[in-house]
Amino acid sequence: MANRELLVEVGCEEMPASWIPGLEAQVAERLAARLAEARIAAHTPVRAFVGPRRLVATVAELADRQSDLQETVTGPPVRAAFDAAGMPTKAALGFARKQGVDVSDLERIETPKGEYLACHRRQPGRATPSMLGGVLSATLRDLAFPKAMRWDATLDDGRGEFLFGRPVRWLLFLFGGRVVPFTIGRTPGAVASGVAPVHSGNVTYGHRFFAEAGAPGRPIEATSFADYRERLAGAYVLIERAERRDRVTSELHNAAAAAGGRLAPLDGHSSLLGEVPDLVEHPAVVTGTFPRDFLALPDEVLSTTMVHHQHYFPVVDTLGRLSAHFLAVTNTPGDDAARTARIARNAERVLVARLRDARFFWDADRAQQLEDRLDRLDTLLFHKRLGSFRAKSERTADLAARIARDVLACPEAAPSARRAAELAKADLATDMVGEFPELQGVMGGVYAREQGEPEAVWKAIYHHYLPVGVGADDPPVRKDLGEAASTWAAVSLADKADAVAGLFGAGEKPTGSRDPLGIRRQAQGLMRILIDLPELTGLTARVRIGQVFEPARSAQASDDWSSVYWALDRLGRKWRDCRSVKGIADDTGMGEPRVRDLLEEHRSEVRQVTAAAGWSGYALKLRPAIFLLERLRYLLEARGFDVRNVRAVTHQWPDDVCPLDARRKLEVLPELTDSPDFRILATLFKRVKNIARELATAEESGTPLEDLLEEPAERALLAELDRRSPLVDHAVRRGTGFREAFAEAARIGPAVDRFFTEVFVMADDQKLRLARLRLMKRVEQLVLQLADVSEIVPEV
Amino acid sequence: MTLQDLVLSLSRFWSERGCLLQQPLDVEVGAGTMHPETFLRVLGPRHWSVAYVQPSRRPADGRFGENPNRLFKHHQFQVILKPSPDGAQRIYLDSLEACGIDPTRHDVRFEEDNWESPTLGAWGIGWQVLLDGLEITQFTYFQQAGGIDLAPISVELTYGLERIAMHLQGVDNVYDLLWAPGVSYGEVRHREEVEQSKYAFGEVDLPAGEYGRAHRDLFDRYYELAERLLGSGLTLPALDHCLKCSHAFNLLDASGSIGVTERAAYILRVRKLAVAIAEAHVAWERDHAAVAGEGAPTAGRADDSASERTAAAQAGGA
Repeated sequence: MANRELLVEVGCEEMPASWIPGLEAQVAERLAARLAEARIAAHTPVRAFVGPRRLVATVAELADRQSDLQETVTGPPVRAAFDAAGMPTKAALGFARKQGVDVSDLERIETPKGEYLACHRRQPGRATPSMLGGVLSATLRDLAFPKAMRWDATLDDGRGEFLFGRPVRWLLFLFGGRVVPFTIGRTPGAVASGVAPVHSGNVTYGHRFFAEAGAPGRPIEATSFADYRERLAGAYVLIERAERRDRVTSELHNAAAAAGGRLAPLDGHSSLLGEVPDLVEHPAVVTGTFPRDFLALPDEVLSTTMVHHQHYFPVVDTLGRLSAHFLAVTNTPGDDAARTARIARNAERVLVARLRDARFFWDADRAQQLEDRLDRLDTLLFHKRLGSFRAKSERTADLAARIARDVLACPEAAPSARRAAELAKADLATDMVGEFPELQGVMGGVYAREQGEPEAVWKAIYHHYLPVGVGADDPPVRKDLGEAASTWAAVSLADKADAVAGLFGAGEKPTGSRDPLGIRRQAQGLMRILIDLPELTGLTARVRIGQVFEPARSAQASDDWSSVYWALDRLGRKWRDCRSVKGIADDTGMGEPRVRDLLEEHRSEVRQVTAAAGWSGYALKLRPAIFLLERLRYLLEARGFDVRNVRAVTHQWPDDVCPLDARRKLEVLPELTDSPDFRILATLFKRVKNIARELATAEESGTPLEDLLEEPAERALLAELDRRSPLVDHAVRRGTGFREAFAEAARIGPAVDRFFTEVFVMADDQKLRLARLRLMKRVEQLVLQLADVSEIVPEV
Repeated sequence: MTLQDLVLSLSRFWSERGCLLQQPLDVEVGAGTMHPETFLRVLGPRHWSVAYVQPSRRPADGRFGENPNRLFKHHQFQVILKPSPDGAQRIYLDSLEACGIDPTRHDVRFEEDNWESPTLGAWGIGWQVLLDGLEITQFTYFQQAGGIDLAPISVELTYGLERIAMHLQGVDNVYDLLWAPGVSYGEVRHREEVEQSKYAFGEVDLPAGEYGRAHRDLFDRYYELAERLLGSGLTLPALDHCLKCSHAFNLLDASGSIGVTERAAYILRVRKLAVAIAEAHVAWERDHAAVAGEGAPTAGRADDSASERTAAAQAGGA
């Protein structure tokens, strides 16, 4: 059988390791898609292999021709195609001309819309080699890099400059063992000696240093994938990621055992094992040793230095304590003992230099108590409108104590929360954090432990920047928090709420992907704690967003303008009030002329806030509470909850949303949304809301409804409401049993349906009409305390 | 190999490959990138290759001469190749061999490390080059400088001279390095490190707060002057004063005189100036290229004879 194997290798300069797994998936997926689009059948799957210096794809069996294209192009309707005399009209002639045929060659086809003229066309497929260049250009253009670079390259596909992850240096491109012509051109402005187009060929290159000598290694000819792979293996290149990873893993374990221990668990550094195999083409492990006296440093410092800064693996002894050994994964054949010893010696010198620095900081930092650093925090500005880090710590300390006592209902944690929050930022003034910024918080905790603070305090400091990840399993976990769980929650919530409220008030709003102060991350952390509070801390409080945010907001040091800003924000709930100077003056206790001056001075901000208060438009995003709500929705969606369900359970005014309730409702909703009753209710609920809106607040109560309603259908609905309400109300009050509550509420669906079928709400009798509106209002209220189910439009 | 031999080897190597040998900028800078031979030459269409040593001051890294690896001032060997040749990595590795480093006897790696200078509005894509885990060079394909997209793309190589020399001489303390036969690095530079560190960290006989005030004041004055110079069409003196602002900012930062967000505001101000300088330079080059009858940068097709000329040849012919 003829050889129909496709083999492409894009030889490039070192790609970042973290991109490689994603690129490998992309190469396979995009090439397959582009082949399909070009109608070239792949009889075997596309396989892709990506390593630091090469993107490889191969298909063992590819059709040697495109499949033929058969299509029917529909023209004008027959009735418009011929005039009364049976002669072709302009429409028919135009269509035939466009298709390049005579009117007499057109056929008639039946369609649901009647009889139409049509043209059958058959386009024979072209030979695969002539199509492959286009397939490769399109595939290369498709690849998405976290950061693409310009390197003065072009592709001949009419799209001009060609950006890529790293410069391409060679291109092996074979079909059936023959080179497929392809060229990556260079921009005219870069043409010089030493800058040339990249032409496809049948050669590859081995390991940068250990293939046969030559620059850059001697070219290696390949005729097929099997041949290519074997020759590269001989040139110290393992193209398969799994092979590199397995070799790294087994060599690491062997080396750790040989050093009398085992590989240290990589808590918080687990990406290292995933990353290292993509840093090398031929892994080999080297064992190094550092002087034992460095083991006196905290594990966090040792691990960060080894893992984070040097990509070395720590080794623990049989008792699980860090040992003085480390393992480095090198990009070498590993077959030369002298070289291995030389590399180990040099690696030790680099590591020791870093550890020596760290020890210097450790000793110097411990000479001072954390509280003695607070003066220094006074000189570290948190934000020009929000004061120093010391001022922030003081605000946070009050807030943390208040949250522990009033919000988390855990007054016994209030003193430790205050203490931890006071000291939490002190490590910003230590040398260690100056050198290892990623250890902020952690070092503060370690230094607090060293100076004898109780566990509830030091662990709260240690973890107070967490959570960062949005997943339910992301750190911290309950056992890490130990006795500090409640204290930690109060401190972490307070720190984040203060930052979000303060920075928003100071006009720092994240826009698009720009969020230099990490406001988005902190808002997410805040929501994550509220969502997972029982699992993280064992506390049972069901906290509403406003309970945390409102005190943070009122704790902000306020100049006159920020008082007005917050008044506008708060009054925005009743948007008319915020347009009256008097309303603001009353709220802030300022004189009307002063308020008027400030509004004038900050005209554009006022417009943003008031537009937001209208509950519409882009400006909504400016409001911190709504910003928090959006982060909550993002987080819930990131956990896989359906986007419509998420909107349904977070429909309240943002301050009133309880994230924990929202999560619990979402956990049960998918089981119910397909039930017939639920679907009826969801479909009708929008109508219920629209009608209920006709009712003014003052008209919501009055004569008992059963004395007013007449029709059987409306009396039946009222009876259903009376029957179903207690269980629903109970669940909402307790924050549990939402499954039963939803099921119960859904049972009124048929009664609502019957009501709409049999009863005309807008009766002429005003009393009756009002009673029916009140009935609708009750339906609305019953359902809304669970969810705005109109968001969950059933799929038809 | 002594430190000065290393400088000689690299200078010879790069001059043989067509680089103009320039001299350090005589203004305090944190990196060779700030030298106009890099910051301005990478802008615009004109091909240019250059190498020079740049003493680089990093106030925050000052350690009073007590740390064996950390210096207030270190030395970079800076190379710019514009356009970047296809074999840039290979040529770079050859330069290591010229200094006596045989990559086959070590583990040499190119690990992702994109470079960014917020104050210069500049960034690039590239790697740190690791020699057995020791970072010896920053290798960067420039993408933007002064906020302007670059074409053609330059490659910047920044060798850490002290680090490489320490590796070659097998010493663990920078002050034990041999600068020249019989003369140690400590003899040449230790006193400077002690005094400059004290200065950088504000150990100066001044009333409380005065150190910060003096440097804020310097910053503002340099800034104002830089703006005036720029307004007068004096781009190079404007760059000098922009760099002085940058250094004053570094001193404020190292001495703990400014906080996080104020810091961001300072960076933004310097960046604004750097962007204006870059734009002024590009405009100047465009005008003068037009006068000299060289290919216009926006014409889409460079004048081949002009672009093929190496910087060295231009210098020789001038």
